[in-house]
Amino acid sequence: MMTEQGKVLSALLNGQFICQVSDEDSWRFLKSRDNASKLEPHLNLLNRTLATTGEGEVFFAGYLTLGDEERKVLLQQFQETTSSLVPLVEWLLLVQQASESDMPLTMGNAIRLNELQTVIEDTPAYSEQLEKISRYRLFGSTSVNLDGQLKQVFKKLTDLGYLMKPNPEKQIYLATGKVEHLFEVIRFIDETESLSLSEQAEAAIQQGSLL
Amino acid sequence: MSQVLIQAGSRFLNALGRHSDLIMHAYVNGSVDESNFSRKVLEQLIQLGILWRPDPQSALRLKSAVRNLLESGLQDERNRNINANIGTALASLKTIAEHYKESLHYNRFNEAHAYMTDLTEHVYQLTESLANSVRVMFSRINNEFGYVSSVEAKIRENELAQGQVSELLNQLECFRFDELSEIAGSNRELRHLLVVALQQSFSKATQELSVAQARLLDLLGRFREFQGRTRLLKGFLLHMEHHPDFAPGNYPNLTQVPVLFNQSAAMLKPASIDVNQVAHEQELQQIVASLSSVYRRKPTVSEPEKASTIDVSEQQSVDLESDPLQEEVDAYFCEVIDNGQSLSALDYFSQRELEFDPEVWIYQVIGGYQALDDEDKQFFAIDPVGRADEKYTGNFVIHDVTLGLR
Repeated sequence: MMTEQGKVLSALLNGQFICQVSDEDSWRFLKSRDNASKLEPHLNLLNRTLATTGEGEVFFAGYLTLGDEERKVLLQQFQETTSSLVPLVEWLLLVQQASESDMPLTMGNAIRLNELQTVIEDTPAYSEQLEKISRYRLFGSTSVNLDGQLKQVFKKLTDLGYLMKPNPEKQIYLATGKVEHLFEVIRFIDETESLSLSEQAEAAIQQGSLL
Repeated sequence: MSQVLIQAGSRFLNALGRHSDLIMHAYVNGSVDESNFSRKVLEQLIQLGILWRPDPQSALRLKSAVRNLLESGLQDERNRNINANIGTALASLKTIAEHYKESLHYNRFNEAHAYMTDLTEHVYQLTESLANSVRVMFSRINNEFGYVSSVEAKIRENELAQGQVSELLNQLECFRFDELSEIAGSNRELRHLLVVALQQSFSKATQELSVAQARLLDLLGRFREFQGRTRLLKGFLLHMEHHPDFAPGNYPNLTQVPVLFNQSAAMLKPASIDVNQVAHEQELQQIVASLSSVYRRKPTVSEPEKASTIDVSEQQSVDLESDPLQEEVDAYFCEVIDNGQSLSALDYFSQRELEFDPEVWIYQVIGGYQALDDEDKQFFAIDPVGRADEKYTGNFVIHDVTLGLR
């Protein structure tokens, strides 16, 4: 038997993102400042530190000091992140457009795969978009039918930790805190590179560009 | 007069009931498809004031009174009208109250009664419309303006609702309870209507409206955030379209790596089995037992075995030899039967000069007796010979047994 502390610690050391959706107990544990400060020495011992993202609602472990080895890991991670940005953003927009409410996916939102599939099947533009997305190396689907493409994309996203499936019997997925992390990454790139993405989008909408 | 009114009213209601299909059709679709219904029925409904034609070219529509009735009865969320005109309602209340007081003053009780009914009706209408407005507002908030799909439309709806709430709150300020209580004076009934009933509904409405206002602001913030996120995503894609070779700076190479990109690698690996750990023995056994297949099969090369010669010869006979001790016990029993007299086991032992251990002999005799079946036992009597132990009471030490016939 492991204590709550041990459970949280091992989840962090395993590189997991802890949010209210993915693991509510651990998330509650980390929300308490006392508990978090108790964990910190253990993490420090292994050159880790507790980091948060998504307005303090998502926790993960970062490196305390950066040596050459650590930088190598981070560089590789960064390259993976940036190369998967476009597929992920396209997928996010597809889900948003295909859902009735037109709301961007946020932590805790549920996606009903069957409903999504029906909408995508009925709309040729969406099915084309899905096909394009599923062909990206990130998802790597070779399936020719829509069902297989969609399943592959969702499976991959679940493996990557962006989605979770609370009930293995049901095709309902919940967005986790990693989605919030993704938004923060895009926002960060936007600000650092001064791309002013929102303004670009607005200008395009006003010019009537088809988005 | 009232009889006629009642008849006309029930005719009206009957018409509503009889043509409920048509009316609901009009309610849902907005207008009546005239080709589907008979001219006569339509004419009748127009005459009763249920349907009307706004201008000669347009289709028949439901009168707003009927529509309102249905909306409030069905609690339909499409009803987004909020009657904010409280000022005029209050003015008419004050006027009727004055009429009432005047007629009371001149002792015209019939008239006064009519005014009172009228006033009651007006007051309750006002409180009902207030409660209704608040309910409509909340139902819209609760489904987050689910009746419009895009976030932009939601934001517009939210702004409309906020306008309506502030309008309502402004109108509620028209309530001057000091004025009302002055009008009511010392009349108990007037006081109940104008002060108590109105005040209750007033305070409830203001309270709920302020909650609604806060919720609306909250929702607006969320919608704006959604809008911002959507723009961010779309902007990013647009940017990537225009600059396909865009690559963000290499943030992990900075001296201060931003927290977002400082994510440590997974380091925990599963532990190994320790077969010397005694505490785990049971679990390990269970694991082994539940293995459905062990990948350690011997190669199943089955060489044809050589035919062995079959030896057919007589089998050795087996002699069953009885234990000599057993035989001696049998002989002892026979001796007792033959003589017909009791005989001590040890006496027999010394007579026959047997070579066993005397103690073993006695045990064997007792055993021999016990081994007899019940019928045979009845022929014999066995008596132990011995004495009580010197030190420990209750212990009886047997030296010998005497076997006799009963």
